[in-house]
Amino acid sequence: MTSTRERPFELRLPVARHQLSNGLRVVFSTDHSAPIICVAVYYHVGMRLEPRGRTGFAHLFEHLMFQGSESMAKMEIARLVQQNGGNLNGSTRYDFTNYFEAMPSHTLDLALWMEADRMRGPVITQAELDNQRDVVKNEIRVNVLNRPYGSFPWLDMQAIAFTNWHNSHNGYGDMEDLDAASLDDVQSFFDSYYSPANAVLVVVGDFDEAHALDLTRRYFEDIPAAPPPTPADCTEPRQETERRASRVDALANKPALAVSYHTPESGSREYYALGLLDQVLVQGEDSLLHQELVSRRGFTGSVDGGINFLGHMHNAQTPLLWTVELVHDTDVATDTILEAFDAVIERVRTEPIAAAVLDRALVKTRSSLYGTINDTYYPGAGRADLLASFELLEGDAGQVNTIEGRFAAVTPELMLETAREYLRPSNRTILTVEPGAAEPSVPAEAGGAA
Amino acid sequence: MSAPRPVLGAPAAAIILPRNEQRLPNGMRATFVHAGAVPLTSVRLVLRTGSADVPAGRAWLDRFVHDYLREGTEVRDASTFADAMAAIGGQLSIAAGEHTTVLSTEVLAEHAPEAIALLAEVARQPRFPAAEAERLRADLRRSLDLALAQPQYVTYAAFRAALYPDHPYGRVIPDPAAFEGFDADAARAFWSSETGAQRALLLVGGLFDEDAAIAAWRAAFEGWEPGAAPVDRPPTPARGPSIHLIDRPGAEQSTMYVGRAVPDPTLPDYVALEVTNALLAGSFASRITMNIREANGYTYSPRGVISSRPHDSTWIEIADVTTNVTGAALSEMFKEIERLRAEAPPAEELVGIQNYAAGSFVIRQATPNGILDHLEFLDLHGLDATYSATYVERVRAVTPDEVRRIASEYLGSDAMTIAVAGDRAQVDAQLAPFGPLTP
Repeated sequence: MTSTRERPFELRLPVARHQLSNGLRVVFSTDHSAPIICVAVYYHVGMRLEPRGRTGFAHLFEHLMFQGSESMAKMEIARLVQQNGGNLNGSTRYDFTNYFEAMPSHTLDLALWMEADRMRGPVITQAELDNQRDVVKNEIRVNVLNRPYGSFPWLDMQAIAFTNWHNSHNGYGDMEDLDAASLDDVQSFFDSYYSPANAVLVVVGDFDEAHALDLTRRYFEDIPAAPPPTPADCTEPRQETERRASRVDALANKPALAVSYHTPESGSREYYALGLLDQVLVQGEDSLLHQELVSRRGFTGSVDGGINFLGHMHNAQTPLLWTVELVHDTDVATDTILEAFDAVIERVRTEPIAAAVLDRALVKTRSSLYGTINDTYYPGAGRADLLASFELLEGDAGQVNTIEGRFAAVTPELMLETAREYLRPSNRTILTVEPGAAEPSVPAEAGGAA
Repeated sequence: MSAPRPVLGAPAAAIILPRNEQRLPNGMRATFVHAGAVPLTSVRLVLRTGSADVPAGRAWLDRFVHDYLREGTEVRDASTFADAMAAIGGQLSIAAGEHTTVLSTEVLAEHAPEAIALLAEVARQPRFPAAEAERLRADLRRSLDLALAQPQYVTYAAFRAALYPDHPYGRVIPDPAAFEGFDADAARAFWSSETGAQRALLLVGGLFDEDAAIAAWRAAFEGWEPGAAPVDRPPTPARGPSIHLIDRPGAEQSTMYVGRAVPDPTLPDYVALEVTNALLAGSFASRITMNIREANGYTYSPRGVISSRPHDSTWIEIADVTTNVTGAALSEMFKEIERLRAEAPPAEELVGIQNYAAGSFVIRQATPNGILDHLEFLDLHGLDATYSATYVERVRAVTPDEVRRIASEYLGSDAMTIAVAGDRAQVDAQLAPFGPLTP
């Protein structure tokens, strides 16, 4: 069954980098397999850098970037993208906020013009701010407040595992802070963080690079330069003792458990070793924790986990957490699960990983990396995301082509050392959810099933 | 100052990538499509069996069987199977539909043949080890409890129960007492009676070596028995108006499903209905979304969808709205529907939506999983390549008056089935103007 050819399919992304006189960094990556382009702008500001007393502001600001700019009315950008056969979106992460559209390739000119127009800043009214405040509050309701396990573990864990406010505060936003946001806040946040020098423009897909560079210069080069923001201190102290916390979730009817460990510094050899440990321990049904907690012990139907609650290991900067989470039945004690969990973790902290397991983990990392750039709804957006992340976080988008090599360089010894230092109990936080809702009785409709 | 807005040239013609369609003597079919630039292959084994084939009183038997399929094959046990899948960069996914069960995986492109063989092994030689049945029943009970805590799930279930009384489509929530009868024998009996070569379609998309993939498909499936023919079970959907409320005391939002039966994809009005939906509710800049989200801030992600089964479709507007504007949101939705029923949309608005519908189709046809989704859709409804080839021109042929007619004929707000999960104490009075609640 084994393929007779070795690695007949390879991934090497073409990367061309430019910088405009106002500091805007530009990354092009062509892919002529389909007549589609993706244009993405990444601003190097996310939840970590929002002002105190204004939690959720980075995300609210993202919404406002669809509400109008110098040459576009409220939601006109969404209309223009749709009318020209494309899809658009934006998202707010810890370190960056992105805006992107996947469109037919003949629309490159328009896509660049639109992004340049809104890079000059939102032009919005109080009514538009109030409207998007309501929309964002409804987003928080549907995803957190009206949803069982809505803040578990992504918001709850950050609050306990981190001590630095930049990392620990609720980046989705407290309702009172959202209520307090004003048009003055919008202007000052824009002035601080949305300058060309604090952004990366990425174009992916079917286009001509020289033409794209001409258009980029035409639309973006005269956007006024501004000094980049002063970096904030987001560092966390080394954790020396295990932390535990519990919260009641009024909508949940089963207990849940999450365990988070601080990761090594992003980009380091140890970070990639942890990426492989993640594959070995918790990704997929062959993983050690799935085998132990699901298949052998039957504590739960699935165990999930990974690095970075808002993405994956390649699109965020440390401090980050590696987390394992599961929901279980009330009649199984948390400590029983933790005991089984610890036995698995101790194994990778005391014995070197077998060669076959490491090989499998390497295959899984490749497959999962390729998966991040294989979008269906926004083709090209995953590739743009990887390129922008490396440009912003490591200073060179071209480094995406070294990812596979970085994983391949990890040895069983390095994995052992990494597990010993980073998977030690004193480096972790244990969070449990206590169900606040009764176990359901099946409603009358189910009678219809009989 | 911004530069003047650019004027665009004409879009390139839509590209439908070639599909290599094959058939075995036992009735099994396969389609291979090269697409994309990422060295992954998407492999899907689409089996024509699903929850609609489950007997009354045994809802979720299909889900139990799907969980059981993960417990190994006659060739290797569960953990060895999981290792084999992981070693090619894949994970087994099982998607449950009313008429389809899709076993799928996405693997490194050089391993496409092994992926095909592994999916065949699951489908043809499941192990169903008796010792695992109790654990899987416990997983099923836990999944049910978790589902019942989700407002979207209970709303969907109530909507379905109202629209499809006495039909499998309406039996969403299972009776957990029936789980006791779910065991290895039940799983084996269901799987062997409801699958077989004539109910199987293999879809392969992405980058891969075509000769090797076809050879692997033949080797893995040639010896499969045809099995019993699949059965379509067209329902007779109930006509609204009816309103169903699930009480969630203290809920911050009301979760709503508002919908009714509409023409299915085999009927001539279907494409015009899709365009109408995109204009009314199914896109970011659509009328209902612009109203209840962008003008009023009642909700975050409202959406109009058309959901289809063989010879059966429903149009549904789905939204989670702040509790105190439940009635206001409903009345704005109806206002937009009735406006479109009364007045043809401006030509410019329609052209924009046609471009969107055509462009989205072109974008989906460029990605492996977008193509495979479309092939699944065609197969489920018995449509052929002509549907894809003529889709864009049919989208472009829709006229403003046709949109008005479609809305008028099929989307009248007087015949909607409405399901709401929300805080009864606050919502009761808001729903009163829309008619009596069904007890």
